[in-house]
Amino acid sequence: MNGEDDEDKREYERARRRRNIALALSLGALVVLFFVLTLVRLKGHVIDFGQ
Amino acid sequence: MNGPARAANAATFTVNPQIATVGDFFALLKPRVMSLVIFTGLAGIFVAPGNIDPILAFTALLSIAVGAGASGALNMAYEADIDVRMTRTAARPIPMRKIAAGDALGFGWTLAAGSVAVMGLFVNLPAAGLLAFSIAFYVGVYTLWLKRRTAQNIVIGGLAGALPPAIGWASVTGNITLAPLVLVLIIFLWTPVHFWALSLYRSDDYARAGVPMLPVVKGKPATRRQIFYYALAVAAAGLLPGAMGFAGPLYTAVAAFFGGLLIWDSFAVLRETDVVREPNAHRLFIVSILYLFVLFASLIAERVLGVAPLGHATFGAWM
Repeated sequence: MNGEDDEDKREYERARRRRNIALALSLGALVVLFFVLTLVRLKGHVIDFGQ
Repeated sequence: MNGPARAANAATFTVNPQIATVGDFFALLKPRVMSLVIFTGLAGIFVAPGNIDPILAFTALLSIAVGAGASGALNMAYEADIDVRMTRTAARPIPMRKIAAGDALGFGWTLAAGSVAVMGLFVNLPAAGLLAFSIAFYVGVYTLWLKRRTAQNIVIGGLAGALPPAIGWASVTGNITLAPLVLVLIIFLWTPVHFWALSLYRSDDYARAGVPMLPVVKGKPATRRQIFYYALAVAAAGLLPGAMGFAGPLYTAVAAFFGGLLIWDSFAVLRETDVVREPNAHRLFIVSILYLFVLFASLIAERVLGVAPLGHATFGAWM
């Protein structure tokens, strides 16, 4: 019984770790996307403004 | 049951400290539905006149995809009590008690708000408005209002799933004209053919869950007739882009051939003799997916290959 509980706990922690990694990667990807999008929008509206 | 009561009911689908994987959260997004939404949204972006920065096009498509996924997650959260009673949906993460309905609600609303905000801030407000409308329509009108009340649930609710080409179009042009609305019309008329074919061989499932799908409420013969009429309508609507001059000969040939196939298979469903296994309804379900896929693929292909639309003179009028 204890063996099963330990195995469940390990599996739960593995799943939680994978979820955390996925969340971190998603947030990182969003940061990169927002940065690139800001450059794209700036290029269209601000950088060309002075030319 | 009203909306808040249903939400409270859905919230009873709590979990023990279960093992919800990344895949379970991904399943909440209804990836198969999402793939068709992405594809039709992409066609809207390709067909629209004008240019869009590839990064902005990607962002628009990402927002459409995430918005559709959010709708799916919210739908699963509010319909957990139905899903648990249906064979087709019983293995979803909430009925399986891998994810609590409340978590799915938070996940869904966060993605919905995020997708609309990103679309509005980085692409344009009309596209964001249409995306918000489609999410609100799918969740509010289809899921919470119509699904359990009327056999016309998937007809009216189908508008939400039909909008992605118009959202894609609006992300390029910042407005909506008749041309994208024709693409919306095609998907709108296609939806009953697709889902009523499914409901013919899942009618016991729907009856058990108390969902008033057409075969449950009006019977299978009436459903077969309705499928046939809608197949005629969608096959005719499928020819409109060519007739109006904003699609070319490749698209028109594909729409004519596969429209004929859709009518042929709908006729087979109308004349079905094996009303237990419904083999023709199974086939029509698959053919209907193929129909929508090839139609929009040919629209994209024409733009990629540079095939000219059929009617240059009228082309401008619809754009």
